[in-house]
Amino acid sequence: MMDSESKNESYLIVDIDDLVTKAILIDRINGSFGIRGVSEASTTVDSPDLDVTIGIRKAAEDLGRKVGRELWGVKGPSRDNRFLCSSSTGGSLYMMVAGVISMISAESAQRAALGAGALLVDVFSKDDARPEFKMVEQMRSLKPDMFLLAGGTDGGAVQQVLELAHLIRTADIKPRFGSEFQLPIIYAGNIEIREGVLDILSKEKYATTAVDNVRPIIEKENLGPAKEAIYDLFMEHVIIHSPGFKKLVSWVDRPLLPTQAAVGKILYAYAMERQVNMLAVDVGGATTDVYSVYNGVFNRSLNADIGLTYGISQIMKEAGVQNIMRWIPKDMSQKEVRNIVGNLMVLQPTSLTSDEILVQQAAAKEAIRMGVENHKKLASRLKGISVKGTLDRLFEQVLESTYLNMMKTQVIIGRGKVFTQCQTAEASMLLLDSLQPEGVTEMMIDKLSLAPHLGMLLDANPETALQIFSKECLQRLGTCVGLSGKSGLEEEAMKVQMTKDDGTVLEMTVPFGELTTLSLGSDEKAKLHVKPRKGLDIGKGNGKELITEVVGGEIGLVLDARGRPLVPSAKKEVLEKWLEALKQRQEAPSLAQRSG
Amino acid sequence: MAGSVEAETRSALFGSKEWVEMSRLEELAFEKDTLVRKVRRIPALGEVLVGVGDLVEPETVLAKGTVWNPDVREVRINEELRVFPEEVKKYLLKEEGDEVKEGEVIAIHRSFFSRFTRVCRSPIDGTIEVFSNTSGRALIRGKPIPVDVKAHIPGRVLEVIPNQGAVIETRAAFVQGVFGVGGETVGELVTAVDSPDEVFTAEAVSKEQGGKIVVGGSFITLEALRKLAATAAKAIIVGGMDEEDLTNFLGHEIGLGITGQEKTSLTLIITEGFGVHPMDERVFNLLKSHERRQACVDGSTQIRTRMLRPEIIIPL
Repeated sequence: MMDSESKNESYLIVDIDDLVTKAILIDRINGSFGIRGVSEASTTVDSPDLDVTIGIRKAAEDLGRKVGRELWGVKGPSRDNRFLCSSSTGGSLYMMVAGVISMISAESAQRAALGAGALLVDVFSKDDARPEFKMVEQMRSLKPDMFLLAGGTDGGAVQQVLELAHLIRTADIKPRFGSEFQLPIIYAGNIEIREGVLDILSKEKYATTAVDNVRPIIEKENLGPAKEAIYDLFMEHVIIHSPGFKKLVSWVDRPLLPTQAAVGKILYAYAMERQVNMLAVDVGGATTDVYSVYNGVFNRSLNADIGLTYGISQIMKEAGVQNIMRWIPKDMSQKEVRNIVGNLMVLQPTSLTSDEILVQQAAAKEAIRMGVENHKKLASRLKGISVKGTLDRLFEQVLESTYLNMMKTQVIIGRGKVFTQCQTAEASMLLLDSLQPEGVTEMMIDKLSLAPHLGMLLDANPETALQIFSKECLQRLGTCVGLSGKSGLEEEAMKVQMTKDDGTVLEMTVPFGELTTLSLGSDEKAKLHVKPRKGLDIGKGNGKELITEVVGGEIGLVLDARGRPLVPSAKKEVLEKWLEALKQRQEAPSLAQRSG
Repeated sequence: MAGSVEAETRSALFGSKEWVEMSRLEELAFEKDTLVRKVRRIPALGEVLVGVGDLVEPETVLAKGTVWNPDVREVRINEELRVFPEEVKKYLLKEEGDEVKEGEVIAIHRSFFSRFTRVCRSPIDGTIEVFSNTSGRALIRGKPIPVDVKAHIPGRVLEVIPNQGAVIETRAAFVQGVFGVGGETVGELVTAVDSPDEVFTAEAVSKEQGGKIVVGGSFITLEALRKLAATAAKAIIVGGMDEEDLTNFLGHEIGLGITGQEKTSLTLIITEGFGVHPMDERVFNLLKSHERRQACVDGSTQIRTRMLRPEIIIPL
């Protein structure tokens, strides 16, 4: 809902990462809000500039020239626009969390920290395998930006929480930047011992704040207050120590947030507005983020050091070179692949050769696969709740170790240059191979890379933020119809009949192991009948027919009969054929012949 | 003189400079004659052993001190004495901050008119760092470890950093590579190939290269690398090598691009990239022109936002 003051306002929104400062102007165009312009400048936190506002000013002034408006005044951003900002400079917000039990309060604390956009440097608990002195060593050596202490339900554990507080006090942890400052600590545990904990974590040592418990009762998680406290302390105690941020903070109309928090906010709002389950992946140079919303529950996980420039050798180390090679649709020796990976890391070329693109995309698939595996651990039902019920229900709960279920995922989204700097077919193949959607799933990418900006706009003007994110920012690649299960190669896997709004009927039989498309434009909808063969599932059960409505996209409707779990073909020509299938947007006449 | 170079523990450029053209990364330094300033510090407070204006050699110790010992032992005093944790305090013979010797009694419990005596001894020489009343345990940290910092380059002490180290200045040729492994070393520069596009094979390795900093061409084979290490050469500077060979040589995957602490006696600097890459001609010619001179090299690399590249300093 638009607040009253937002009706006639325009917004200058800036996101700052380590390399680039990106500014956008959102204003009314022909009566409705839209993106008036985008501009970029180099980030100026490091020497020789040592002032983040220089880069912001350059980006804003350049944007002003583009749109023909004065966006920057003598003393900062023009007050004609509301000024919002997010930042991931300095490699994000480094946090440590602690809780009494690793799988209960410490896990809730992790979810709060990650959900607020942090990079977790360590997690401590009373059931930690490390002896206490090792934990103290680790707390001292890793130097976080912030600490979140949880533990005990309200009225629950006392002694163990106090012992954790004593441990943190003993460690005398210094913040990452500026050892003369006090490390901010948030206490979000048992509310009844708040005073005791605050006494232990005295003001001389730490800047301690207490908020509502992240786990007030064992059956319920309450992450909101802890996340809000993280946002507040991020602006007041962390980012303020970076060059120029004190000035910047005085200019912003709303609190400055970590970039990843802003991304999470818009993704969550989008999923909630559409009432869908959503899985989004963001593959950067040094990190891989996974965001999910299942049944209204938001989760974010982060694989630090897994990325496509700094982090690409780490992908090879963790996934193994063979797992990267299995996705490359071309004969390349292990030696060639390893050299390309090494050079992508050490040289970080700005333009890539065709072989480098193939290797990078293959590495991205492994990065996402590992990211999603990691995400499953956090996107899970709350642990520690006693399971009552029938034996069937017990088995069901045991089996459902995570919310993440591709058959129940309606939307998948890709973020990062690896998705935006390639053809839509390649971006689609990245999502298909790495996430392996099942059932009917819409595939999208954040084409304009403006999710952080729109996440920042969300609190000020949610209606506009969602409308721009949905209409201008997200690019619909297509909708995937993915079969779960296995069958014999070339056996008939599914019969598909698609009836477009204009009455055109397209039919196709897809053999197992094949990937093909049906033409359905971004603005088109169709009624779909899918009948899988026995042994395969499209979401209705073994061999059962699905009737649903689908929307199109750049590559249309993707019929993925390669089965799940997907095993990439050892034949390079098959991998190439799959990619080619996505490149050929099938039009109705040729389909009619094929269906015959 | 073309310009000057300064660094914390590594070198970074300032002043006028001559950049290597497009064949190499733009930000890599290439200086034929410049002032190199290196800031050399111990990782703690200690004693500085040189004064402003002193002439130093690479092996000259500039400062020395001690750092915390990472060896911390947890002693479960309550279990040794067989008492409740909260009772331990009254049996302690030492307090937080006291120095202890290995085997020294730190707590004693006599019971039943001293007929039953239990003691708790220190497992190491060190200091009692923390004693916990609630757990009945103590942490004993090993004795501080002595550290020092050497000059690494010959030159003059430009500035003393009180209690920490000094800034050393020297005239030198200065080149950065793209990636390296192994830390700082100093030795005589020798060229093993005739041209920058020549592959450095095992046949080109000789005993005379032992103790030297060897310059290769476009590529070094794994066999040559192993043979070179066996001759006790101090470093190899080469255009390229296979990433797979580097992994085999080190015995582990590189993973994150943060190096310098590898357990290898041979420092390795790649100037162009992985694979076969003729060494930039100007770099090769510069190194060749300084054949038989002393070179100070460091393979430490950090591929991150604040990037550090391996470096070659040839004092003039």
